[in-house]
Amino acid sequence: MHRLLSRTVVAVRNRSLCVYECCVLPAKIDNVSRPFTGVGANTISTCTVRRCEKKVDAIPSNQGEATNVDTETKTTQLQEELLEANDGGSTQQQRNVKAEQVLSKPSQVKTDGAKSGKKSLLDLLGAMKVEVTSKRKLKNLKTKQSFESAVQYKSKSGAMESTISMFQKANVQASAQSEVLDPDLVAAASAAASTLPNRSRAESELLKQLRQRKTLTEAQKKGDINNLGVLIADMKVGKTPGRQNAWPADQIRFDDDGQGYTRDRGITSELANVRKRKNIFPTKRLNIFSPTTDEQRGDSALAKPTLWDMDFSNELSLTTNQMPRNGFEQMIQWTKEGKLWHYPINNEIGLENEASVPFNEHVFLEKHLDEGFPRQGPVRHFMELVVAGLSRNPYLTVQQKKEHISWFRDYFHQKEEVLNEADVYLN
Amino acid sequence: MAAPCRHVGHHIKRNGRFLRIHLDQLFASRGFRWTSALQQQGAEVHKESKEPIVIPRKKSWSSEAVLEALASTVHRDPTAHPYQFQDDPYLSPRTSAEFKLFSLSQESGRAAAKYFVNNNPKFFTKDFAEPHIPCLMPESVALRLEEVSEEALKERITLRKVSAAVEMYDQLLQAGTSVSMETTQELLDLICLYCDKNPVQDGAPEVEDAEEAGEETKRRKPKGRQAAHHLRTSWKENNNAERIFNLLPEKDSRCYSALIRGMVKHGAYSKAFSLYTDLLNNRLSADVHTFNALISAVPDARDKFNERWDLITELLNQMNEQKVRPNLLTFNSVLKALRRCGFLAKTYAPQTLNEMKALGIAPSLATYDHILAVFYKSGSSGPNNTDIIQDMLTELEGTSFTCQDPHDAFFFSSAMRICLDSKDLELGYKLHSLVEVGDNWRLLGDSYQQSVYYGRFFSLLCMMEHIDVVLKWYSRIIPSLYYPNPQGMMDLLQALDTDGRLDLLPTIWKDIKTLGHDNKVDLVEELLSLMAREEHSPEVQESFAACALDVKSVFDGRSSMEWSTSSLSHVTTLLLRANKLQQAWDMLLLFKAKNRVPSEVLLNNFLSVCQSSGTPKRAVELVQLAAAFCVPATPVLAKTALAEFQLTDEQRSILSEFEAAPEKETE
Repeated sequence: MHRLLSRTVVAVRNRSLCVYECCVLPAKIDNVSRPFTGVGANTISTCTVRRCEKKVDAIPSNQGEATNVDTETKTTQLQEELLEANDGGSTQQQRNVKAEQVLSKPSQVKTDGAKSGKKSLLDLLGAMKVEVTSKRKLKNLKTKQSFESAVQYKSKSGAMESTISMFQKANVQASAQSEVLDPDLVAAASAAASTLPNRSRAESELLKQLRQRKTLTEAQKKGDINNLGVLIADMKVGKTPGRQNAWPADQIRFDDDGQGYTRDRGITSELANVRKRKNIFPTKRLNIFSPTTDEQRGDSALAKPTLWDMDFSNELSLTTNQMPRNGFEQMIQWTKEGKLWHYPINNEIGLENEASVPFNEHVFLEKHLDEGFPRQGPVRHFMELVVAGLSRNPYLTVQQKKEHISWFRDYFHQKEEVLNEADVYLN
Repeated sequence: MAAPCRHVGHHIKRNGRFLRIHLDQLFASRGFRWTSALQQQGAEVHKESKEPIVIPRKKSWSSEAVLEALASTVHRDPTAHPYQFQDDPYLSPRTSAEFKLFSLSQESGRAAAKYFVNNNPKFFTKDFAEPHIPCLMPESVALRLEEVSEEALKERITLRKVSAAVEMYDQLLQAGTSVSMETTQELLDLICLYCDKNPVQDGAPEVEDAEEAGEETKRRKPKGRQAAHHLRTSWKENNNAERIFNLLPEKDSRCYSALIRGMVKHGAYSKAFSLYTDLLNNRLSADVHTFNALISAVPDARDKFNERWDLITELLNQMNEQKVRPNLLTFNSVLKALRRCGFLAKTYAPQTLNEMKALGIAPSLATYDHILAVFYKSGSSGPNNTDIIQDMLTELEGTSFTCQDPHDAFFFSSAMRICLDSKDLELGYKLHSLVEVGDNWRLLGDSYQQSVYYGRFFSLLCMMEHIDVVLKWYSRIIPSLYYPNPQGMMDLLQALDTDGRLDLLPTIWKDIKTLGHDNKVDLVEELLSLMAREEHSPEVQESFAACALDVKSVFDGRSSMEWSTSSLSHVTTLLLRANKLQQAWDMLLLFKAKNRVPSEVLLNNFLSVCQSSGTPKRAVELVQLAAAFCVPATPVLAKTALAEFQLTDEQRSILSEFEAAPEKETE
């Protein structure tokens, strides 16, 4: 135990060391993976670096103060597991994990044995972050924060936080993801919610929105699969006993080069022409209409079909025999009714309004965060998570994604003054 | 080798500039990048020809093209039942009645399901399909808007609730709200189309009283025939349509059009014409549909042939004056009216057709049907001149038609009637080959029209064609396309008789039984008489006898069928020829049971069979039976029996009694 404790201390020291290093680094370091020389410090990510950057000013005053007994034990515990994980997890050394992943890891704690402790830890984390980011104001003595959290804040350093996040990273594999919502998201939401005074309500609101989106996604995803199943079940294999010369002439709907297909009719047509020449009807006609008045043809086509037209077409369809003669004709009928997938198979059928939307619109959604969201802070982080999730969701249209983001924009906008009061809405 | 190359090179050199410029233009217009490689290739390809390159553009295929190509590879299987019955072999129709029943029940099942879905939309809210399939979702059939507004009126119009729409319109007027012109026009259309009656909803249970059965019933075949009299719902004086129309502050031509079309559709012909004069007085112009309706109403509005034709030409001239472009239906209704113009028709029908062609309007099958009807009156038989139909079919050969006029479906059956009347087999084949082009078979019409067509075709074949060919057609169209009626089977029997293929009769009898015609007494009698008329080879006689026994069992099974003397004796003869003495004896007993008297020839036959098989006992019984029937030839029979059989004394005494007895009576 003593050894562990001492190790932890060493680790913490190392971390603070690295924090110092980070301080030296220019502000825009990203995606840089650095080797660390600590006992449990095999894995560290740029996110940690970023975290550290953000807390640069906070850290110097706090590092090394991790002497509080309560937190000490917890840290020890964490460190213990971290070590275990690191033994087997050397592969994780060089990870380019994005910020949201780091932030979301805390939730994984739930699945482990030391649940209650870690849960509280998570809460602590949430609370702490607020304080970390609002540190400048804290100096000016913002009394709204509880004393307790202040203590906890002080008890933990930025290094400490990165340790925790690392621990959780190591735990990713172990966690079962069977929650209705991804625990990552839950945790992130609660973290974001904790920035607000009415914490539980805000959290539930955020979660509700997320859950709605999730059910929508699920529905759209499932719809795809079910539909396909039904479709395949409906298919019939028709028999094709031989070939036919008949080539349906109206298959080509239009021919851009204007050359239709002309079939030669053979000798019979010649005979027919011979016959045609001696038409028994006199060539006299009524001479009432003049043959060249083409200008009126357009407006009848443009006009909306009246009830009479519908009745007439219905009558026509009744007088003819519409029964399909074989499975293919049945399928043609279904295609016309819209019940069947169109041939040749096109996976993107029904997504015509998405066809013109390029891929980058779907994936690079961060530009939508430029307006109406703070440049930094927990809200920004939360939104980055949301955007990252959306960018991987193939079941929503771009429009739906935008709506999703704008819902959050409105939401945070409404809560702006509360957030400002809490000094977390950095704009 | 070198010489042509040099020649080519020279050619390129000379024409190079021209080609390059040309290709440059061409490719620039297609948006291609001009690369040197392409330049070379292009030059090589076209070094021989100066013609410009025409690069075919992308063809866009319809979504059904693949399926159509596949469907064209599937031929009709003459041994299979129609496709719609293949799901359930138990429900494969064997007779035309079953065909009708099964297809109607299939259809009505669909209609019932649709009705249920539409009336209970709350149970069918799940939409699994991606992309969305509108036709699987319930349609709204119930009214949702309750308040008095134009929106509610529009809803009632789209749902075709005639009385509710009229009510809503009245409420709107009372409330002082003005209804837009368009909505009013639609309302008038609705009322006039359904003649102020609510149409029967699709698939609705038939609880509505008979009066409500309006136009919509026609679409459903189960009620098709019986609804024919409902269809003629007559236009009532001052009905809602007229009332609303009269209340309108300003009337445009579409309102007039709706009313005139409604009046013509529902039989108020003279009213329609007076409304048309009203329209002209208001200096409005009618549309083409109005003219079509009026032209089709002409024969009912005028009595004399001359007057009818004058009115038609007047209407057509007015169309021309009002710059209304006639369409196919205009000319079809002119021709239809001409059918009722007697002697004038033969002059003007060809002229109308020429007018159509001059205007570039392609005639439909209905056009040809009207012309045929003009030239081939069904009453006037005799040596008809088939030139016209011959010409027509030559002209139509290989053309694929689509239905453009409801009357199109009558063409094939009436043309086949003409072929049958003129007994022109060539013409019949020509017509049938037209049916087989493309989708023309769809224009044969409903199952009734189709059976009429095939019935005539089959009769023509039976009448004119060699029996082998007839049988080929028989196996090809029966029963997959056509369930022949008793007359058709009778024709077939006669064809078999003419060509001396009576040995096929037992197989035909099986088909007759399958087709459910075994209860038609005259058909069965015809069959039996054909079988019994001549003697055939023993094998054939054997099969005939089996067939005769089968016929007997059919007779026994049905109380409704009465044995006639001739059929009884035919069966007995057939059995005797096959040496089935016991069964023949049973038949003789049946004579007695049915109070029929066998002929002398039959009894003599029987006796000779008894003799050849050596059963004197049966001979004695025969003579006794003959005596019981009081057949005058009994003594002769007894005498023959006495002379030719080896008899016991007892039998001799019985027979000699019969030999003597009638002589005493006669003395």
